[in-house]
Parts: sequence; structure tokens; C-alpha cells
Amino acid sequence: MSETSTSQDLSFFYRFLARCMQYPDPQWMNEDFFQAFFNLVETLGANAEGKEIQVALEQSPDPIEALQIEYTRLFINGAPHVVAPPYASVYMDKSLQGAFALKTLSFYRAKGFAMEKDADLPDHLIHELEFLSLLAQENDLAGEEEFLTTLFRPWYKQFCPRVGQETRHPYYRMVVNLIDFFTTEEKKNGFQCNEA
Amino acid sequence: MQYGMIIDLERCVGCHACTIACLSEWEVPVEFHRNWVYRLGPSKVGNELASTYYPGLCNHCTKPPCVDVCPADPVKMTFTDATGKTITKSVAATWKDPINGTVQIDKSRCLGCGACVEVCPYNARYINPAMIDDVGDGKADKCTYCMPRVEAGLLPACVQTCITNARIFGDLDDPNSEVAKYVKKGAKGLEPKGGSIGPNSMYYGKKKDISLLFQDYTPAALADIDAINRRTMLTAMVKPAMRKAQDLGLLGLAGAMLVQGLGKEEEKKNG
Amino acid sequence: MAFNVTRRKFLQTASLAAVSIPLSKVVCAETGVTKASLEPKGTMNDTTVVGGLCEMCFWRCQMVGKVRDGQLIKLEGNPKSIDNGTSICARGNAGIKLLYDVDRLKYPLKNVGKRGEPVWKRISWQEALDECGSKLKAVVDQHGPQGICVFPHGASAKYPMHYFERTVGTHNVSEASFFQCRGVRDTAYMATINEAPEEYVDMANAKVIFLVGCHFGENIHVSHTKTYIKGLQNGAKLIVADPRYSASAAKSDIWVQIKPGTDTAYLLAIMNYLVQNKKYNQEFVTNHTVGFDKFSQSIADWTLDKAAKECEIPAAQIKEVADLLAANAPNVTIHPGRFSSWYGNDFQRGRALACLTALLGAYYVKGGWLPPKKPKLNKTSWAAAEHGNEHNLNFNNDKMHHPYAPPGTPTELIRDCAISGKPYPIKGCVVWGQNPMQTIPNQEKMKQVFKAMDFVMCVDVMPTDVTMWADILLPEASYLERFDEIKVGATYAKAGDTEPTQYIAPRYPMVEAQFERKDQVYITNEIAKRMGHEQDIPVQTLEELVNKTLEVSKTTLASIKAEGGIHLQPGKPAGAVPEDFMVQLFSDEIAAAGFPGAPTYIPVENVPAGHARLLFGRAPVHSFSRTQNNIWLHHAMPVNPVWLNNEVAAKLGLKEGDTVGFINSEGVKSRTTTIVKVTPGIRKDCVYMYHGYGMVNPMLSVCGGKGVDEQSLITKIAIDPESGVHGMRNNFVRLTKDGKTLDMPA
Repeated sequence: MSETSTSQDLSFFYRFLARCMQYPDPQWMNEDFFQAFFNLVETLGANAEGKEIQVALEQSPDPIEALQIEYTRLFINGAPHVVAPPYASVYMDKSLQGAFALKTLSFYRAKGFAMEKDADLPDHLIHELEFLSLLAQENDLAGEEEFLTTLFRPWYKQFCPRVGQETRHPYYRMVVNLIDFFTTEEKKNGFQCNEA
Repeated sequence: MQYGMIIDLERCVGCHACTIACLSEWEVPVEFHRNWVYRLGPSKVGNELASTYYPGLCNHCTKPPCVDVCPADPVKMTFTDATGKTITKSVAATWKDPINGTVQIDKSRCLGCGACVEVCPYNARYINPAMIDDVGDGKADKCTYCMPRVEAGLLPACVQTCITNARIFGDLDDPNSEVAKYVKKGAKGLEPKGGSIGPNSMYYGKKKDISLLFQDYTPAALADIDAINRRTMLTAMVKPAMRKAQDLGLLGLAGAMLVQGLGKEEEKKNG
Repeated sequence: MAFNVTRRKFLQTASLAAVSIPLSKVVCAETGVTKASLEPKGTMNDTTVVGGLCEMCFWRCQMVGKVRDGQLIKLEGNPKSIDNGTSICARGNAGIKLLYDVDRLKYPLKNVGKRGEPVWKRISWQEALDECGSKLKAVVDQHGPQGICVFPHGASAKYPMHYFERTVGTHNVSEASFFQCRGVRDTAYMATINEAPEEYVDMANAKVIFLVGCHFGENIHVSHTKTYIKGLQNGAKLIVADPRYSASAAKSDIWVQIKPGTDTAYLLAIMNYLVQNKKYNQEFVTNHTVGFDKFSQSIADWTLDKAAKECEIPAAQIKEVADLLAANAPNVTIHPGRFSSWYGNDFQRGRALACLTALLGAYYVKGGWLPPKKPKLNKTSWAAAEHGNEHNLNFNNDKMHHPYAPPGTPTELIRDCAISGKPYPIKGCVVWGQNPMQTIPNQEKMKQVFKAMDFVMCVDVMPTDVTMWADILLPEASYLERFDEIKVGATYAKAGDTEPTQYIAPRYPMVEAQFERKDQVYITNEIAKRMGHEQDIPVQTLEELVNKTLEVSKTTLASIKAEGGIHLQPGKPAGAVPEDFMVQLFSDEIAAAGFPGAPTYIPVENVPAGHARLLFGRAPVHSFSRTQNNIWLHHAMPVNPVWLNNEVAAKLGLKEGDTVGFINSEGVKSRTTTIVKVTPGIRKDCVYMYHGYGMVNPMLSVCGGKGVDEQSLITKIAIDPESGVHGMRNNFVRLTKDGKTLDMPA
């Protein structure tokens, strides 16, 4: 498989993962979405976990509301506390909009990107995934690697286990693990597009 | 010229405006501070009750022990005064400015070894872990007397925000300055026991309050500089070798190439 | 979780057909970036935004913001300010950490769980407003407007409070700044000098400053603190009456280590001494007071010795203070205080302070009580309306329970009615910027109020403890993100000025509101539309509200912004005593209402054996219970140590830094623990803590559970009879250590 097409595929996955992290809304969180989601899970061989999610969704009288409640509790405001705000600065600066958010924004700019007016904060997980997707689309492998190493992994490695341990819905455990999966391999083996 | 700061404890109300303004101005990580306010007492001083504050910061000492221990390779640095006269001297990564008397740090050359942090009798320095480059993991950081602000014609952030004008900044060498007048009235610095390093941040106040401050916060005798030197030299030598590529901070594109290269090296080793 | 392939393998083999592409929010732009230096830049070169008006407390200092990349980096005093100048306090400086607090409310939330044990779900504004509007309307339809109670606090709560009071028509409004703070001071002075005193004391020019319980340094209002220190630097003698060696006591010339609750006895003895020895200002008393004879008779038995015994202070010291005041009259500051809801006998203390000021002739003089002449503004809001007294809980046939109540209805009358359903049901509750769980004593009772409701809505910037009781929780734009409140004042702009300068400083946003936070005009109007009051809406936007309020001053938001965020104009000197200014030393009106006509000391309950009185006050880095989750302020003072007398500590075997909990005389235990501060600077019969710690709501990730919430131990309720405000210092505690309860030594 060529270097470019792998990168295009990766771009696609980053976008899909960004979608998974949006506030659940039946408009997009529909049958097609779940089909794609379970396809992916199955392809990765996480059948048991996939089954667990299916059961959780089927057993809930209102599966989307259950996910909305869990999303609110994990990522917005929750009781007993907001578990895992999906912003890099929270982990790196212990505040929203800290210096780390500005660094992230600077990086986007250095690569020729800017935030849209109604976007969330630049260091929101969704936007970081979207940005990775755009880099992958441009086949900027060095940029992707650099972003992952310096701006993404340092906070995501704190965020991911927090969600994994605290979530009450297997869907979000899967989503953060999928994101982990698609953003870690470089760290272990260096980013390579052709099999050595 | 010797910049200095007077803290008038008759005016200070212990409100902490100075410490928070500093955090805000200089993006100090939340676990650290460049200046601080401790409340002292109420406790007995002689037969009287007293309670006051210790608003502390770097003393920009006349003979700063932190400068002597810096193990970074010295470079020649040229300082220019207001009249254009220059002084060139050999400095490590931290030095005492021969023009204005402040003690400064070159973050790009700091190894992050922590020797200066350890030797400072006032705990005025810390290693800022957010500052990382290919020279050091974390950099020594401290109060600069807000030199970038002062050079832009502003007051230090803590002085500007002080709600009772208890903090006064100026040139101690100028006999007409307000700070020099305070020294004449008896303002003094917290000299470590048996030392003579000449702290240039000084305190003025009621006798019982000054007694309480000096009784509680006179630093112990200076640490054994030789021991610190040996240990930090070792650390500084070992550190670059220990550093992992993945721990490197925010680099330019050239840096990313380096990361990639090292990653490949490692992969080969791991087989 | 382990996936059974590597990412690389997966990318090479996977079928991607079923995955859909969402829209991207990051788009291209033409910007470049250079490699940043490690040295922080400082804020000198950032964009300056003018017109900030602080609300970390309610003194409202004028500020400028430093903005970088749309992000607020720093707040500073506005150099144009003649009030706070370039100074702002710790809280003001830390405002950006409230703005960007990760726990801040971001979207409307609906509780889909039980009230008090919330399960939150993010909902749209549309849904949230529909819910609030329909539920509140249902309450009004079924029970009448009096079926709604409102707990407001702060600048943003004024507009909705007026809506519910005036347009909807409920009397049941309890504002924390009145009923749990300074309301009783204001009504005591109103009854005595016909004006609320504010803090209009000219300390900068005083020869003596007399503070009863005021603890400046721990309680910080910037310009007020400036004049206080200026006064001391000018040589004013400072007298501080406080059971504790407070920040002010530490600067005092005379510290009066008074027994808690006996302040009025102390003041009566000073006044009696002045009268008996003809050391009062006879000219002022003749021209500007009423009822001197009855007054002096009434206080005649308060000899120095009697007060010395009651207040547990030396008689000689009372005399010393009285003589010092008399010798320096009229240029003496008798400070009216601010937080005054202490012991349930506070109206009388307020009266005593006002009368003492009169005996010294210290009204309308340099160094005394000297109200500035401020610029006038319009009072744009919901149209005022009369709703009669049929449903006014403070009315009891033709009499009032608490005739000297501040505006609104005394809190306890509302709570009792809500819980009992008598005389009528209260079923809807609106909490706006107030945290009644920590401002109002007896938390269990507050919970019962919420449990009795059909509907509870909260509007706030932070998930404070009360927000756990909301059915709908709405995120508000903070004071840094909205227009609002206008601060006006008059002061001498610089040393040597002979005429004061007036200033008008409206609040401008420093940055745009993020997420889905909205301001009070939007929220209130949308609810009003849904309750059938669309035609009564006075303004469409907050900006319009401010501009209409400014109209009379011939300024606008635009014109003031162009002037640097503050409008300055020549003022008029405060002037001499107005001819009709009359001080009611003995008030026939108060007597007719069934209360003592002259200031009278009402003893408070003594400390029961084995206990200590629980006292609390301000920390300089916090405002009430609003700022504890601020990470900078939290780090400055993470817990509230309990002050314990050194001799008591020795007897109890406690050392500095020991961890202790509390149990009060009614058996209520503190939820958390704190550390001991051992000091000779507090009386043996009391302990002291800073207010606002030990929050319950774990949504507050910084401060949740840190320190002790002294309010949770305030379960015994004292009510000041004249005003109906709470007295909060009549609760008694024992310390607990390692599960053991320690009896306080006698």
C-alpha cells in the first residue's frame, strides 16, 4: 500500500474518532454510525468489548440519552465531579486556556490552520483529532509525529486512563482506547509508512 | 546602580495581590511562585503580641551564591548602560548584571541542574518543568525584578498592583531615591546567619514586627557550596545522555526530524 | 484493552467503506509562527482592553485586561481609575482563573436524577428555557406569584430579581448581601440617621480610627484599604475591638480583646462616660440629635465597671479609648462595619455606633462620616409595581414581624413558609448567583426548602454547593464576559486637590463569552416571554440596559470606552452637616414599634461548658464562598486553620499543625478536618476560622473537601428581632481528634 493512501486512511480515522467524541445527537449517532463503529471494533478484534457496548445500548430505554448523561458527566460538568475535561491545558496547565492551549494554537497556525469562529477551544480533543486528520490528509507525517509527541500524547496519556477507569458506559471506554490506539504507535516504533 | 526593593510592613496588609499578579505576568506554573507572602504570628515578641508578614522574593544579592555555583559553560556577554558605555564579562547561565545589579538567568543555556535552587538561602528559585529544550529538562526560574517591564518604563508587576504602596522599587545607589531613604531609616535585608551576601530586597516596619520577621525567617548559614558544585556538575554531565527523544519539548521542524531519527535508532536497537 | 492488530497493519488492511466523514472545524488560514523563546513574554506588548469592572468581590475596582490571541492573560488596575488606581487585590488578579476555571458551567444542564443527587444532562437553551418558563408559570398559575421564592446575589441578579419582585409579584426574595451580611447595619443607620452609612468614613484624614470587628487586611476592598493605610501613615491612632488579634489589631495602638457578643455594652459604656463627663460634642447634640435626655437616662447604668465586667476587659482601657476619641473629636472614624450579621443583637450595635458618631460630632467632618456626592444614574429596570401586603410574610395583621428588615423578606420567614406550607405554599425557587448552602445558616433546613419545591432553577458561573439542588442549571457569562453594573463615585483624584472628581465606570466585556454562557438580560427576558410577560420587557439587551441607565449622565458605553473605560467629571465637596440632618439618639418610632428606643445591650447566650464559640471571618484571598475553586487563590491559602488559644491548646495536648474536626453543641459534626493554628492572639472561649472552605460539591475539583465549612456547624439560628437578619456567631463547638471529642477547658 502506498504511503499516500495509508495517510489518507489515517486521516479518515482521525475524523471518525473526532465524530465519536462529539456530544451524542441522534442526527448523526444513527444506525449508519453504529454500523461503522462496530465494524471498526470488530476489525480490531475487540469482539468482547464490542458486545458489551451493544448490550449496554440495547438494555437502555433511551440509549442516546444514556450516552448524553455520561458525556455530560465525563466531559462537561458532572456529579460527583467533572471526570475528564477533554482539553489539553487542563492536564498541562491545570486550567482551561493555559499556555499549552496557546502553544497548540500556534502549532495549528504554523501549519497554516486556524480555528473557526464557533469552534470549541483549540486544545479540545475533537479539534486535535481533526487537526491530525488534516495533517494526515496533507501527508505531513513529520508534522503529525511532532504534534503527537509534543502536544497530544503528554496530556492524552493522562486523559485516557481517567476516562477508562471512571466511565460508566463501555462506549466511551472504547472510544478513548480507539483514540489511544491510533495515536500511540509512533511513540513505540517511530512513524514509518513502509515496512522496513 | 543597584536595583532594590523595599517592603514597608507598616503598610503591608498581607493581601497577596503581589503574588498573584506575578503568577499572571510571568505564566508561573501553579505549583511554584516567584514571590510569596507568609503570615507570621500572632505570637509573643518580648512582652508584646505581634503579627506581620513575610513578603519574600529574590534578593538580587550583592554577592549572589547562586551565580557562583552555575556549572554552565561561560560565555562573553556585553552589557550596555544608559549612556552607551559597555562592560563585557564572562558569565555562566546565571549572572549578576554589572549595570543594574539584578541577577538574571539565560534560559537557553540553563542546564536545569538545580544547583542555584539548592544554594539560594531564600528558596527564591525553582526549576520550571514547563521549560524544556535540548539543553535542559526544566530551567531555573525566579523573580527578575520584572526587568522586561522596567525596561519598557513600567513598574514591576507586584509593585504596580500593591494596594497600599507597601512595595517600593528603585536604585539603592541613588541617595535621592525612595528606596535609599528607607535604607537610611533602617530598612534591612534578611542576611543569612554569619553571611554577608547583601540581599537587596529589604524590610521596614515597627520594631516588634521586624523582630518577628527576623526571628522567624533569618536563613540558616549558607550551604556547603563545594558539595553542591560537585553533585551538580555530575548531574549536568549525565543529564543529556539520559534524556529520551520523546521527552523533548516543543521543537521546530528540525527538531522533529531529530525525533524521527532517534526513534529509528531505538527501533533498531530493540531489534 | 488490547486490540489484536497493530495500527500499521490495520491501516494496510482495513476496509473503510462504512465510515462516514464528519465536517471539520479547523480550516486553512494564512498565518506563520516563529519558534517561541522559553522566557515568558510578559504582558507589556499584549493588547490592552479597557473597561473591566471587577466582581471577585462587590467593591468593583476598575481594570484593564491584557489580551493575547483572544485569550485574557492578565488583569490590572485601570491607570485612569481614581478609585483603585493601578492596584487590584489578589482576587482581582486571579479573575482570569475564574474565567478559565475548568469546572465552570458551560452549557445548560438538566438534572435527570433526584434533586440534591443530580444526574446531569446537557440540553439546549431552548429546552432549558422552555422548562424554566413552563414550570415557573405552572407554580404561579396554581399558587400565585407568592409561590415563587428567589435567592439572588451579585450584579447579575438585580435584573432577574426585579423581574420576579416587580413583574411576577413575589415578596419572597432573600438577598444574601442584606439578610446574611450588611443589611442590619444599613437599617440600623437608616433608623438613626435616615441613611445607609455605606463605608463613607474618611479614614485618610482621621485622627482616630475605631474598628469594632472590622479586620482590614483580611477583609480587603482596595480603595477602602488604601484610605485606611493612608490614615495610619498620617498618624491616626487605631483602636480595634476584636476577640482575636486580627490583621487590623496587629496594626493597632489599642487592642480591645472583647468578649464576643458584648460590643453594644462596650459602646454604651463609652457613650455613658462621654455623657457623664460632658466630653461629647454639645453643639452637634443640640443641633442635630433627637431624644438626648431619654437616651442618656437609658444608658446611665452602663458604668465603666459594669461594662468591664460584661465585656471582660479592663475598665481603665474603656476610659482610655473614650478619652482618646473625645480628645480627637470630631475628626474620628467610627466605622459602621460591613458584614454585620453576628449575634442576633446587631441592630442595637448598629444604632450604638451611629449614636457614638453623633456624640463625637463626627458626621460630615474630615476624618469622620463623610458621604461623597456621586454622579446620578437612571434606574432602568422592570417597572416598579405595588403588590400589597396580603402575601408579605413580614406582615402580621397590621404589624410587621421585623419592621427594620432590609428590602425583601427575612430569610427565615421564607424558609418556614416553604417547609410548612403555611400560610401559603411556596413551590418554585430561583437561585441566582447566591450559594444559600453556604451563606444561610442551618444547611439541613435549606435542604428541606429545596425538597419542598416543585421546581428549582439555578443560574451561576460555577457549580457551587447549591447548584446540586437545581432541576435546571444555567451557565452565566462572568463579569469578564458581559456588560453590566456601573460603578460611580467621587474622590480626590490626586493629593492636593481641593475639589473631588466624580467617576462613572460601566462594566465592559474583556473577552467574548465562551461555550454557551449567557447574560442575565437574555435569560430573564426569555423566561419572561414564556411566563407571559413579553410586553413588560424593559430592554432587549444588557448593553441597552447600561446605555439607558447612563442616559441621565449624558454618557454612553461608546463615549466612555473612548475615554479609557472611565468617565471623569468635576465633583462637589461633601459639604457641612445638612440642616435637617437629625440623629435619633432615642427614637420614638422604634419605641412605638415595640423595641428599645435607645441603643440597648441584649446579652447573647453564654458558651456552654466544654465548648468554644465558633467565630469566622474573611480571608484576604477569598470572597464569601465564591472564590475557593480558583487555583491561584487556593494555592495561596489551601485550608482554613482553626485559631486556638495557646493555653487552651496546651491543656488539650494540641500542637500547631495538628489535624482536628469539630462537633457543635447540637451534635453536628464537620464533614472534613483542618489544622490547628496555636496562638496567644485569640481569647480562650472562642475559636476562629476563615469562611468559605470545605465545599461539598465535588464538581469543584480544586477546593472540594479542603478545609472545614464553618457554615455547616452553624445550625442554631439567631434572628435579630428588629431586622429579621441572621446572627451567625451563636454556635458552639468542641474539637475532635482521632475520633475523640475534646472538652474545651474552663
